[in-house]
Amino acid sequence: MDKKIDSMKAEYINPFIESVRELFSTMLNSNAERGDVDVYWEVPPSSDIVALIGLSGPMRGTVALSFPVGTALSLVGRMLGVDVRVVDDTVRDGIAEVVNIVAGSAKGKLHKGMGGPIDLSLPTVVRGTDYQVGYPSRTAWLEVPFTSDLGAFSLRVTFETPDDTGGASNESSDS
Amino acid sequence: MKVLIVDDSAVMRKVLRDALMKSDITDVGEASDGEEAVRAVMENAYDLVLMDWNMPKLSGIEAVLKIRRRGISVPIIMISTESEKSRVLEALKAGANNYIVKPFTPEIIAAKIKETMKSIAKK
Repeated sequence: MDKKIDSMKAEYINPFIESVRELFSTMLNSNAERGDVDVYWEVPPSSDIVALIGLSGPMRGTVALSFPVGTALSLVGRMLGVDVRVVDDTVRDGIAEVVNIVAGSAKGKLHKGMGGPIDLSLPTVVRGTDYQVGYPSRTAWLEVPFTSDLGAFSLRVTFETPDDTGGASNESSDS
Repeated sequence: MKVLIVDDSAVMRKVLRDALMKSDITDVGEASDGEEAVRAVMENAYDLVLMDWNMPKLSGIEAVLKIRRRGISVPIIMISTESEKSRVLEALKAGANNYIVKPFTPEIIAAKIKETMKSIAKK
């Protein structure tokens, strides 16, 4: 890990990991088991359903949850208590709510050491890699893979914290 | 007991409806934003409102303020992903009676409803 990535301290990604696990245990009756953190400078290609939420304030960045279609269908099916077989507005709505809960919950955990409130954008749901997150080239995505009885999925976070220097711009958009 | 669920997510409305069903609460109305919620409580006699915070058009907190300004005293439980003390206090100051943090279980929903109704009965 280089100096920049090293500055993305575990204390900043752990709240997101904890929030994923809490969500799975409380609302999905499932255990999400995390794997090792990996680092990407670009989002790897996939056909996943990805829910993104922007962070602004003392911590600026993006949180993404990336679900293979099978996992997304199982997850929303578990939330609704029905068999879900097609990716439709309901699935996108459920996945958006999941990232919203994870980011909101992590925000509360991060808030204490940040010196100010973190603001969240509205969630965006996209399919595959048809999105771009404009960010300084020196920042990377940290990815944490998870496994669960609903299927595998990934948590991805990229951010700047008060420890970092330089002016970052933060934009997230569909394309 | 007649309960109004207010959330812009159809999935969350269904999750809350299922949670209420586990407490044998089946007389349930739904609204998908704050404006619909204000209209719904003015037109119907609800015993309780479960109000999401972040919604388009009119947020949950703005809806609570509007409902109270109209002199409607229906018990309101605010639901939010955010657990900071300042957010809870803001909700209570606006006129909410209780606060639930997402993620939640049906048992948490049942306990908060019981706690809210008990505290109102005491007044």
